[in-house]
Amino acid sequence: MNRRRRSPVEPRPALPTAILLAVLLPLLLMPLFTIYVFALRGGPLAFLDAALEPEAQFAIRFSIIVAFITAAINGGLGTFAAFVLSKYRFRGRGALNVVVNLPVAIPTVVVGTSLLLLWGPIGLLGQYLDPLGVQPMFSLFGVVLAHLFVTFPYMLGAVKPVLDELEVTYEEASYVTGASRRQTFRHVILPALKGGLFTGALLTFAHSIGEFGATVLVSGNLRFRTQTAPLYIFAQFEAGNIEAASAVASVLATFSFFLFFVLLRYARPAQRRSA
Amino acid sequence: MGRPGPSQTRHHEWRTSTRTAATVTALALLGFYVAWPWLPWVAEPATRTIVLYGFSILGPAFEEGIFPAFQEEWHSRTGERVAFSSSFGGSGTIRNQIALGAPAEVAIFSHVGDALQLVDDGVLSRAAWQDLPSRGVVTQSPLIMLVRQGNPRAIQDFGDLAGPGIGIVHPDPLTSGGAIWSIFAEYGSALLATGDELVAYEQLLGIWRNVVAQSSSVRAARTQFDSGFGDALITYEQEAVLDLVLGRLAADVVYPARTIMTENIAVVIDRNVRGSEQRSLVEALLAFLWSERAQSIFVDYGFRSVNASLDARNPYLGPLSGVFHAEDLGGWIAAYEEIYLSVWKSRVLPQVGT
Repeated sequence: MNRRRRSPVEPRPALPTAILLAVLLPLLLMPLFTIYVFALRGGPLAFLDAALEPEAQFAIRFSIIVAFITAAINGGLGTFAAFVLSKYRFRGRGALNVVVNLPVAIPTVVVGTSLLLLWGPIGLLGQYLDPLGVQPMFSLFGVVLAHLFVTFPYMLGAVKPVLDELEVTYEEASYVTGASRRQTFRHVILPALKGGLFTGALLTFAHSIGEFGATVLVSGNLRFRTQTAPLYIFAQFEAGNIEAASAVASVLATFSFFLFFVLLRYARPAQRRSA
Repeated sequence: MGRPGPSQTRHHEWRTSTRTAATVTALALLGFYVAWPWLPWVAEPATRTIVLYGFSILGPAFEEGIFPAFQEEWHSRTGERVAFSSSFGGSGTIRNQIALGAPAEVAIFSHVGDALQLVDDGVLSRAAWQDLPSRGVVTQSPLIMLVRQGNPRAIQDFGDLAGPGIGIVHPDPLTSGGAIWSIFAEYGSALLATGDELVAYEQLLGIWRNVVAQSSSVRAARTQFDSGFGDALITYEQEAVLDLVLGRLAADVVYPARTIMTENIAVVIDRNVRGSEQRSLVEALLAFLWSERAQSIFVDYGFRSVNASLDARNPYLGPLSGVFHAEDLGGWIAAYEEIYLSVWKSRVLPQVGT
């Protein structure tokens, strides 16, 4: 199989590879490189100092917590949505299919604004919660709500194509050979879905770690409370503390690099199995 | 691809289990790192927190000066440790966040207009800050100009900013309080010098035709200026003085012949202060802000104190001439309506693009 895979690859890929690198250099590689240059400008000790700043550490931890919660909730919700949209036929399915994918296209600022106008003290629902002392915005809850909205399509996008492609005959064969519904799910559907679930959850997690546009509106940007890592970077950069901003930015960039490294390594065999 | 032999299967299983083990270990380590501050042997006993929002340039003075000083004072007085949670941004930005429910207990705005707006929005029941010392004014700073080293464009006064080919970095009055003060200064300096509204209008228009970049706050505008944009930046004297104190100012300071003294207002956001114990803590902080100790800290960080005798502490505060206040423009509300709304917004802004 490996041999067959390799065969369409050109034997001497030097020129196209060089062109690709030349194009990517100013677009991707140099901006990334710049973060590390500025993060390390004051030497490794200054970098450690900036990265270990309690405020920065809180922001990184808070971001990871939010991303975990988001990936867990949207992991379940997205899979369920994919299952319903893929396996059932009902009126309005087409429209719903479009709506659940909308968060990719809507500006994140709009997401933040709409959440504030729904849950804030003058919001459609918030005005009834406010007198009860319930304030969903400017808290962990508000940040998670924003991230759930923004990252919703990723899980769906990773799982639904797999479900769509999964031949009904496999399921039927499973039933015919006497397997129960539960056994069919465990031994037929789940193994096929594994790659998609993994990819979707990791994409959701990674996107949540980096979310800025909606978060900046609903978090309140409070240090040691609701400031995520991207908000910390933005605040420090605006305050002119370029080293502090770059240090956390490089930590995030490295973290994302590992996430996607893992993603690409693991997703491949899973796809092979489901194909 | 042939059927996998037994050794291949074992190899595959071995790899899968190593991978699973590696993944679980990585996740456990990450979880451990995230949970660290809340682990029982690390976590400090619960403390009360004061939530403070401030306009953009207040960050260093509060984080390094006021917060530690108050924590120490409160601890020596009551034995209790208090924590602070803070957020700094454009005055208009934080005012809007508070209107939308941000949990600020104390807010410090660049100007009284943002406090008045909160009364209009129904967030504050009345203008209670007027009962505080100095009618709520907690810090002051005149507007000055920063220019490139050696002042290559020979900028000496606001009028010079209207000259041809000058590039100005200006904060955005929609979100920045300092931007509104700047507009008052750009117009008011000419008006008070000549008494001629047309001259003042021309100066304001000339300056705004030269604006090359707008930022959300004075602090953000400064970062933009430091990144090499523009020839001049109108900013609080505090911004420049703090950098002079720290020996890191990479620009020249120009004191205009006439400039405005900004008056920054402290406000308690009553609806976010829960319970009488928390209220007395917040009130203690407010009282502390006007104490000699806190006012001295503000001066050390480049502000001018409401207690003018303290200003001598900081030798980097420049000699001032021709300082005027919002009062000299008919009061803050009148200045806002006449200069910001009627002149800048209705007449200057539509002209700038043409």
